[in-house]
Amino acid sequence: MYQSNRMWASASFVGVLIIIGMPLWWKTTEVYRVSLPYEKISSFKPLSHFVTTELKVLANDDATASKIVSEIQKAFAESDIIKIKIEKTVMSERQQHILRSVVDMEKAVEELASTLDLDQENIFHVVQKKSLSHNIWVGNERIMFFDDEKASETIVKALDGWIYQTSVLRGSRSDTPDQARSTRFPPESAYHITLSIVHPRPDTMKVVWNAAEAVEDYIGSFVDELSSLHNFTLKSQWLHLLDFDFQAREVKEVSEWGRHFAVRQDRLSLLLTRLEERAATHVSELSTINLALYIVPCDKAPIIIYDNEGRKNPLSIQAFMSPKWGGVVIASPPAEQCSQQVREFEPSVGQIMGAFVSHLRELLGITKKDAIEGAHLEPSRSVSPRRWEVDALLRIRTLEQVTSAERTLQSLAQLLEEISNIVINDEVGASIAAAVSELEAGAGEGAGADAARAGRAHAHAQRAFTHPGLLALLYFPDDQKYAIYIPLFLPIMFPVVLSLRILLLWFMGKPVHKEKTD
Amino acid sequence: MFNSKNFLFFIAVFIETIFNANGDLFNEELFIKPLPPAHLYTYFQFTTLVNDNLSSEHTYLAPRSLVEVLTRFQVDELHFTLTEGQWRHNHWGYPVLDAAPGAELYAWFSSDVENVDTQWKKLSSTLAGLFCASLNFIEDFNTITPQMALQPTGAIPQNPNITSQLRYASLPREIVCTENLTPWKKLLPCESSRGLSALLNSRMIHNTNYHSIGVHTRKVCSSSDCSVVSLEIKQTVALVYDSKIIRTTDWSFTKLFGQGLPGGCPLASSSKVYVDITTNDTQPFLLSPEPEKVLLSQRGGSETKLALYTIKPENKMTTIGAKYISKKDLVLMKLPPLYFNRYVLGYGKEFGGIVTELTNTFWSSIDVVVLQNAPWWLPIQLSSLRINGEASSEMVLARHYSPGRSRQKPYHLELLLRLPPKSATKITIDFEFVFLKWQEYPPDANHGFYVGSAIITANLPTARNYTSLPGTASLFESSINASKPWYPAVFRTNGVMVSLPTPDFSMPYNVICLACTVVALAFGPLHNICTKELVLKVVGSSVTLKQKIINLFKKKKE
Repeated sequence: MYQSNRMWASASFVGVLIIIGMPLWWKTTEVYRVSLPYEKISSFKPLSHFVTTELKVLANDDATASKIVSEIQKAFAESDIIKIKIEKTVMSERQQHILRSVVDMEKAVEELASTLDLDQENIFHVVQKKSLSHNIWVGNERIMFFDDEKASETIVKALDGWIYQTSVLRGSRSDTPDQARSTRFPPESAYHITLSIVHPRPDTMKVVWNAAEAVEDYIGSFVDELSSLHNFTLKSQWLHLLDFDFQAREVKEVSEWGRHFAVRQDRLSLLLTRLEERAATHVSELSTINLALYIVPCDKAPIIIYDNEGRKNPLSIQAFMSPKWGGVVIASPPAEQCSQQVREFEPSVGQIMGAFVSHLRELLGITKKDAIEGAHLEPSRSVSPRRWEVDALLRIRTLEQVTSAERTLQSLAQLLEEISNIVINDEVGASIAAAVSELEAGAGEGAGADAARAGRAHAHAQRAFTHPGLLALLYFPDDQKYAIYIPLFLPIMFPVVLSLRILLLWFMGKPVHKEKTD
Repeated sequence: MFNSKNFLFFIAVFIETIFNANGDLFNEELFIKPLPPAHLYTYFQFTTLVNDNLSSEHTYLAPRSLVEVLTRFQVDELHFTLTEGQWRHNHWGYPVLDAAPGAELYAWFSSDVENVDTQWKKLSSTLAGLFCASLNFIEDFNTITPQMALQPTGAIPQNPNITSQLRYASLPREIVCTENLTPWKKLLPCESSRGLSALLNSRMIHNTNYHSIGVHTRKVCSSSDCSVVSLEIKQTVALVYDSKIIRTTDWSFTKLFGQGLPGGCPLASSSKVYVDITTNDTQPFLLSPEPEKVLLSQRGGSETKLALYTIKPENKMTTIGAKYISKKDLVLMKLPPLYFNRYVLGYGKEFGGIVTELTNTFWSSIDVVVLQNAPWWLPIQLSSLRINGEASSEMVLARHYSPGRSRQKPYHLELLLRLPPKSATKITIDFEFVFLKWQEYPPDANHGFYVGSAIITANLPTARNYTSLPGTASLFESSINASKPWYPAVFRTNGVMVSLPTPDFSMPYNVICLACTVVALAFGPLHNICTKELVLKVVGSSVTLKQKIINLFKKKKE
């Protein structure tokens, strides 16, 4: 019959447009996305990570050792950020003899090193040494001396504040960065360190300064100790005729100069802008830690930095640090040089590079150690960081990288959920998968062995998050897409969808038109 | 009196020691040459010689940004120019360094580099960022590897495959402006605050007939047996002023650059200004102030008189100027030994041709290499190559042709020709027009498509109109009295423009709109015809309420 022909025609419209056309359209306009391990990513709990470390307590007798161990255990039992494996030993006769006979601390550590393995990373020793001037003593090596069991409170404080730095660890794990995290550079596998010597007036004064040697000697020996964490490339350059107006106020005083120029602290950030113009930090592919030595011309010397409350900088060296940017030292030539016809200024290498190293310590994440009552911290004699500081940094960086990698992946997953037209190409997919597998393999096992794994996971996650491929289709929002489709699809789909009812009735064998029955 | 003399001597010694201690040498030079009747050529050259070869990480006078780029991509020699305007060889003679209009970049990579193409891509993108130029548009499809036309000028170890480490690209459409000059100035040790670079005022130098800025780096021997090489960074600016633009034939620093010279760069070992006063015999002018010295340079049978000024760092504001005494005489410039012209043939949108005309005005033959570089959308066929209208010519000594591939590789033709004495040679090659995909058209496609300049490398037998430096020399002063058996030169012809078949760009949109409307309109009736049946109503059958209302309206109308 005609009717069945018509119905089949209608059905074929439905077939072509809805059953074949729609899925085809859906498939061809789909945003390309590699399947991602969403469940694994959402199961990450960045706040659950902690680090593990080992501690060896050595005392003259078992009772003291047990007392100290129980005190430490009690103090760190509730810590969710660090798990300490404590081992107690009674010292051998030889060790006790060394500690009794050698008075000089450094020497005692040296002698003791033959009986203890101090080179192992992430293992710290707490050793009893009678008749100390303080309750405890901490030096450069992974060792701490304590007097007797009365020192237990100080030991716990020193372990918490200096050795393990639990507050910094917590800051590196938390959502909002703490003071230390907002100062140090974000974790990366390698950095460039560039020393720029700014010489505004090369025509009036000669500056004697071997930049290459200073950088290699001081910065080089400092960063060598951190080579397990990052690779460093050291560079130096001279920037001539870069003049900066400090807007300094002249202050009369009784000295060789008879004056000094007072520079307000808030003015100094403008110097960084001026330096950025010429320092060419954007050329390197890695993040650059900037160090700048500004040589003050004679007619503007000496410059002294005043803080925002108008207090004079008490130190002999004028320096400041800008978080996540670098450090600046302002060197003024001495008065007797400026009074001469031929001016030649040789800035003190040790003092200036010392200031730069102290900037670098903070920029790379070694925090300042607050004084603890009854505890003595041996001042560092060389530029290189203390061994236990490197251990602490390794723990901080590991925790930071693991949590940051997890957060990065989680925010990426969230973004993908919210914005439907982000492309995930194979490369990004592979990076995400690699980061997830690294994170799963080394989840929360702490520092040491898996620090490298944390670094890799972080690098993979960063690469995935910042891949330009994600943005390929971001400028084609959905509403604009439908503005093109609707004028075409609406007039076509309208009759087809309406015909569905009649078609259904016909297939079910029910009468299609009421009038027909007449 | 005695004391002050002694003091001066002391300063001289002291300045010397600064530079010896740090190794680097910086020299700045300015060469001014009147190009009668109405033009003036000024050429700035800033040369930094990096003697400290121990490490590239530590720089003193050299720009760290550039040195770092060169080291990272292992570049042995790099030439980069940004040019606006066209050098007219037949009127102006030869410039010190010729440059193609737009951006031009070529580099030799170290023989350790295995994948030259990826390094080249990275290098061009990095330089694009460094100089704010569109060098990131350098891709495989506009890069060629010249076989004969370009030779390294620096000390590069002998290597038979040296050309395999070379890449060349030009972007003739690139517009040169202030944003390129500012990063260029930052590479100078004195930036633009002191020295000759203080004259480079962007407002004035872009108001010229021709301007070209360039960076040329190469390795030069620093020991006699060339076992030690050091890096030479040469930054150049060439400007041609038109007396019509500056509204006078008399010139001075103030007129040309908007200001005087605030002393030399204190870091430079020398700051010198040379003025070519050879034309003073025919077009007399007076220089003020009087030059310090007049040098007579005899080079390959031609004589040049140069007035020399030495600029001291402690100098006060100086301005050098010239005043013409009589302006009536018309002078005929002596034609240079070799000049050339390039133009497009043909009509319609199907076939066309490019002609390169070379004129040898010298009494002996000249060997030249002509490099033609045509983009993939301008396929040139070797079979259509004609020299003076002949398919095979005795003038061609060697030939290299590499056909292009659509969207992948440009066409590249190199010819080694021996131009007969006192002759004009016409090289013709035909091309077909190609249709591009609509997204491949540049903005303002109806403006036309630029075809890069041809490179002409010649060994000139005479130094007439020749101002270039000898190959091994770094400074302009070494071109004085530098007679050689021949004078190597690399020239660029003028660029040409072709007009490809360009569609109406609103067409795709119109087509989409029209097609959608037609489909939408046609679909309804089509669907109705296929699925509905026309049924005749029986008259007098029971009328529904709806029908009654419709009938009511019909009646009213009637």
